Amino acid sequence: MSKFMVIGERIHCISPAIRQAFADRNPEPILLRAKEQLDAGADYLDLNIGPAEKGGEELMQWGVKLLQENFDNVPIALDTANMKAIEAGIQVYNRSKGKPIVNSADAGDRIEYVDLAAANDAMVIALCSKEGVPGSNDERIAYCSELLERGMERGMEPTDLLFDPLFIVIKGMQDQLGDVLEAIQMITDMGLLTTGGLSNVSNGAPKHIRPLLDSATVAMAMQCGFSSAIVNPCDKRLMETIVACDIIKNNILYADSVLEF
Amino acid sequence: MPYKKAEQKFSGKINVCEIGVGDAAISIGGENSLPFLGTEGFKTAVGIAISDTTDEWADCFKALYGDDLKNPAALAKAAVEKSGADFLLVKLESADPNGADASVESCVATAVAVEAAIDVPLVVEGCKNAEKDAKVLEEVAKALEGKNVVLFSAVEDNYKTIGAAGGMAYGQKVSAESAVDINLAKQLNILLTQLGVKSKDIIMDVGTAAAGYGFEYVASTMDRIRLAGLGQNDESLQMPIMTNVSNEAWGVKEAVSTIEDAPEWGDQEARGIGMEVATASACVVGGSNAIIVRHPESAKTVKALVAGIIG
Repeated sequence: MSKFMVIGERIHCISPAIRQAFADRNPEPILLRAKEQLDAGADYLDLNIGPAEKGGEELMQWGVKLLQENFDNVPIALDTANMKAIEAGIQVYNRSKGKPIVNSADAGDRIEYVDLAAANDAMVIALCSKEGVPGSNDERIAYCSELLERGMERGMEPTDLLFDPLFIVIKGMQDQLGDVLEAIQMITDMGLLTTGGLSNVSNGAPKHIRPLLDSATVAMAMQCGFSSAIVNPCDKRLMETIVACDIIKNNILYADSVLEF
Repeated sequence: MPYKKAEQKFSGKINVCEIGVGDAAISIGGENSLPFLGTEGFKTAVGIAISDTTDEWADCFKALYGDDLKNPAALAKAAVEKSGADFLLVKLESADPNGADASVESCVATAVAVEAAIDVPLVVEGCKNAEKDAKVLEEVAKALEGKNVVLFSAVEDNYKTIGAAGGMAYGQKVSAESAVDINLAKQLNILLTQLGVKSKDIIMDVGTAAAGYGFEYVASTMDRIRLAGLGQNDESLQMPIMTNVSNEAWGVKEAVSTIEDAPEWGDQEARGIGMEVATASACVVGGSNAIIVRHPESAKTVKALVAGIIG
C-alpha cells in the first residue's frame, strides 16, 4: 500500500482572508497558507475559488500558477463549481509532481466532472451521492459503480477516481458513522481508492474536541483502507495520527525520527 | 492473446551521486526501477579493496601483489591495474586502537598517498572504531578536499563529526552505515539530512553478510529499502547503496581455510573468489549501486556479470 495522501483544505474562499486575496489577486495570504500546509506535511493543496461564475477561468489559472511557481510544482486539487475554470486551470498545470485532481463529481448534477477529468487526464474526487448524503451503503455503492463506469467508459484508470463516501457529522448523525467506515471497506475491497472531507465529522464540536474526533476517525478509516483525505494539515494531532497509522499499516518505513522528516 | 508487458511504474527515483573528479569521476544511482528492470541504463560500479594492514590476507594475495602488499600506494596502483575496477577503497585498518593504533597523521598520509597513486575515485574506509574513525575521517576529508572521496562510513555515534566535516566543510560524500537494519538506515539518513548534509551527498552502507551466512536478511533489507524509495517515494531512502563485501567474504571458513586445513575443498584462492563473487552478485541484483571486492578476478567477474545483464 502506498502512503496516505493528505490534501490540504486551507486555501478556501470561505475564509474571508482568502476570498479577499482572490479578489485583489494578492499572493501573500495564499502563499502563507500554502507554505503552512506543505510544511505540515500536505501532499496536495486544494484550491477552492468558490462558485467563481465571473472570471473563474482567469482566477484559477492565476492560482495554479502562483502555487506551482512558488512551491516546486506542488500538485493541486482544482475546486470550484465552474467547470470552465477547472479546465482553464488544467491548461496551465504542471504535472511533474502529480496529476491535477478535479474536485468534485457526483452521481447527480455533477457527473460531467468525471468527463472533464477523463478528457484532461486528471484524477477526480467522486462523491458517492446524488442529492445530499446517501441514506444507505446500497446507495453509496450504486453511485460509486455508476461513477466508476462513467470514468472507465471514457478511458480513465479506476485508480484515478477517488471515491468519497461522504463523512457525516457526529453531532446529529452519530449512528451513521459506522456505515461510512463500512463503505470505505467495501470500496477498498473493489480495488479502488477513497478520499473524503474528514473535518465534516467534527463539525460543530468545540475546538479542543475536533482534533480528537478527526484523528480517531482517520485511524479507524485507515484500518478500513481509507487512502487519502481532504484535511487541515495544520492539525498536529491528526497529522501525527496519520503518520503512526501509515507505519502500523507498513505504508512507510519506521525510523526514530519519522515525525521530523 | 497478444503479449502485454506488465511494467511496474514507480513514483520515486534513486539519487544520482557523483564520486571522484574530472575524467575519472563516476556516477552511481539514478534508477527509477528495481535493479536491471528499467531502461535508464542502471549500471553497478565495481570497486577494488585494499588495506594498510594486509597481514591477515590469504596467501594468494602475496603471490598476486608481492612486496606491494606492504605499501598502500603501490598496492592501490597494482590493484586498479590488475582489476580494471571503476574505483578503489582503502581501509585504514591500522588506525584501530585495539590494533596498531596508528596516528591520525599517519592514516591521513596513507590516504593522500593512495589517492595520488590512482586515477580512479577513492573511498576511504575507517577501522570500525567510531571514536577513532571520527578523527581519522575528518582529517582525511580535510586533506583530500576537492577530490570528492567517499568517507566510509558514518555511524550513529560519529555521524555529526563525519557528516559535518565530509558532507559540509570539505565537500566529500558521506556514507551512512546501518549494519543490515532498515530502520537505522532511514534514521541515519534523516539525521544526516537534518545536520545539513545534502541528500545527493549521502550514500547508504547497509552492510552485508557473506553468502550462506544470513544473506537472506541482507536481501530482504535491500528489497525493503528500494521498495520504500521507489514505490513509496520515501525521500529519506533514495540514496544509492554501496556495499563492501570483501571483509565478510574473505572472513568465512570457506575462504580462510588453507588447502592444508581442508584438502577436500580444493584451491583456497578459487574458494575465496567464489565466496566473494557469490556474495557480490547477490548484492548487485539486490540493488547495490557500487560493489567492492578484494580479488581482481572477483572484480572482473562482477563487471562481466553486470555487462552481461545489461546486454
